[in-house]
Amino acid sequence: MLRRRNLLTTLLIALPWALLLTLWHQYPTTHYLSLLRNENVTSKALLNGTSALREEVFPSCTRQQQSIGATPKIIQNYVYSRPPPWSDTLPTIFVITPTYTRPVQKAELTRLANTFLHVQNLHWVVVEDSPRRTNLVSNLLEKAGLNFTHLNVETPKSLKLGLSWIPSHTPRGTLQRNLGLHWLRDSFSNTAPPEGVVYFADDDNTYSLELFEEMRYTRRVSVWPVAFVGGLRYESPKVSPAGKVVGWKTVFDPNRPFAIDMAGFAISIKLILEKPHASFKLEGVKGGYQETSLLKDLVTMDGLEPKAANCTKVLVWHTRTERPTLVNEGKRGFTDPRVEV
Amino acid sequence: MGNEELWAQSVLEMPKRRDILAIVLIVLPWTLLITVWHQSTIAPLLAVHKDDGGDSQRDLAAGLDSKEYCLSDRDIVEVVRTDRPVQKAELTRLANTLLHVPNLHWILVEDSQRRTPLITRLLRDTGLNYTHLNVETPRNYKLRGDMRDPRIPRGTMQRNLALRWLRETFNRNNSQPGIVYFADDDNTYSLELFEEMRSTRKVSVWPVAFVGGLRYESPKVNAAGKVYGWKTVFDPHRPFAIDMAGFAVNLRLILQRSQAYFKLRGVKGGYQESSLLRELVTLNDLEPKAANCTKILVWHTRTEKPVLVNEGKKGFTDPNVEI
Repeated sequence: MLRRRNLLTTLLIALPWALLLTLWHQYPTTHYLSLLRNENVTSKALLNGTSALREEVFPSCTRQQQSIGATPKIIQNYVYSRPPPWSDTLPTIFVITPTYTRPVQKAELTRLANTFLHVQNLHWVVVEDSPRRTNLVSNLLEKAGLNFTHLNVETPKSLKLGLSWIPSHTPRGTLQRNLGLHWLRDSFSNTAPPEGVVYFADDDNTYSLELFEEMRYTRRVSVWPVAFVGGLRYESPKVSPAGKVVGWKTVFDPNRPFAIDMAGFAISIKLILEKPHASFKLEGVKGGYQETSLLKDLVTMDGLEPKAANCTKVLVWHTRTERPTLVNEGKRGFTDPRVEV
Repeated sequence: MGNEELWAQSVLEMPKRRDILAIVLIVLPWTLLITVWHQSTIAPLLAVHKDDGGDSQRDLAAGLDSKEYCLSDRDIVEVVRTDRPVQKAELTRLANTLLHVPNLHWILVEDSQRRTPLITRLLRDTGLNYTHLNVETPRNYKLRGDMRDPRIPRGTMQRNLALRWLRETFNRNNSQPGIVYFADDDNTYSLELFEEMRSTRKVSVWPVAFVGGLRYESPKVNAAGKVYGWKTVFDPHRPFAIDMAGFAVNLRLILQRSQAYFKLRGVKGGYQESSLLRELVTLNDLEPKAANCTKILVWHTRTEKPVLVNEGKKGFTDPNVEI
């Protein structure tokens, strides 16, 4: 009897373990574990091979046909025609982007262009920090299909060095942005100003499509929060219940006249043309005061228009791209320098 | 009492201990099995759907063959690491690029326990065709805090889950054309790249910028248009010395070789791609794109981690505001 019991016990032990091992072997660990956790429906679906389940979890194409979405139709029109056709009634968004040659430049401008190609009535003013307009940028702009203006002005080395002792990084792009403003003032007359806004967009930031629609109808200067600036998740204007800007939610020097990042405001063309002497100050600008140096000549705090749901939504992120390691290029270079990167 | 009796006592105790062991060995596996079986039959009856949106949102333009929009000519597998501050920004600008590509189906796989609302909302708002999956890479608690198991290369389980989803969703015999491309959320993709990969018959390859410590890595292509090697400094003798962003696979091949997956463990650095590709294709079968691998159409950019030092210990900004 003892022997039979031993046999039974052995069987009762061996059988379930064998089953478990087979399951374990077939599927990666966490599939199995997540089954126990009741989270991953897909794994369960995979374990159960019945076609009925498959219908439910992976609805067939025919079934989904019936439901029709309303909003995406607009998106679909934008998706496959780039850029959207120019409209005579929509205010134009002039985006001024200073850029400079470095390995990631083409990548940055490419993904920026991919974003701008969705925005109607956008005119991209690209200003290179270089003695001549480079082929890389010229070709990129021509291929992209956007409305663009290609300018260049080189920051003199003395200026780059002179300002670099300031704790914050060298205020790069100042000359270039000013040239962009200068071009606008040259191209449009103050007597018949076009409807539109100016926005300063650095080439490594990330912009949502919603942002452009928020800024389009700026009357004077509009403002909104910006992510990843000032050592915070985001910096934001302080907006009173009456919808007026009353201060700045920042840790770094919140008492600046305009404690806001370059990507956090847009100015109406009319205002730019009305005040032809307003530009970014080149020298003697403390770190973080660049934006103030322009805005103080254009508007006062209570003239600001808060956007992005009274400055409660983040629609632009001050992302920065890592410098790529090119250590394996060595002294002589490994890759073909004629291949454009 | 003597030695004899002690010995007898211990002999009597042994069966008891053995009995307990036997009981445990029996109860444990059966309990596990029953739990699993229970979950797999009960859970699907609940209304918990894997989020497979997009198809229902697509409005049918007049005159479009109603079957057409189900034909995904492209499947992009995107692996998302959750809980990074820059996640929403990365996905936003990636979506802005993908929105230009016709017939694209975005498979986004989160490395997380649950599909996060942030991503669910983002996907829905784009209007793209998408599938939202998740599987969590097991954490290695021996390492400090939140570190995932470093022996499993990042993104592997997620990419494998997507491959499995493809194999479950598409019939091996159906002739629906499709290409599978693995796209990490911090890379930069030109629109031209997607058109280049569309004509992939088996596996196509092209150069990738900013990998391997170089301006770019590239396949070596001979005069006859065949790949015969790899222009890399780091280990050019790997079977496939190519970055994840440097190849695309025809869906049919994925379905035919249904056991081909990225290897989970024991993969040397830089061999991840080889672990999959060697089960799909030989060097000779590779199709070079991008003008015989002379143009750069994809850049392995990386985004800096943002400095959040001024948040301090308690946090300065409103945590309810999504970034």
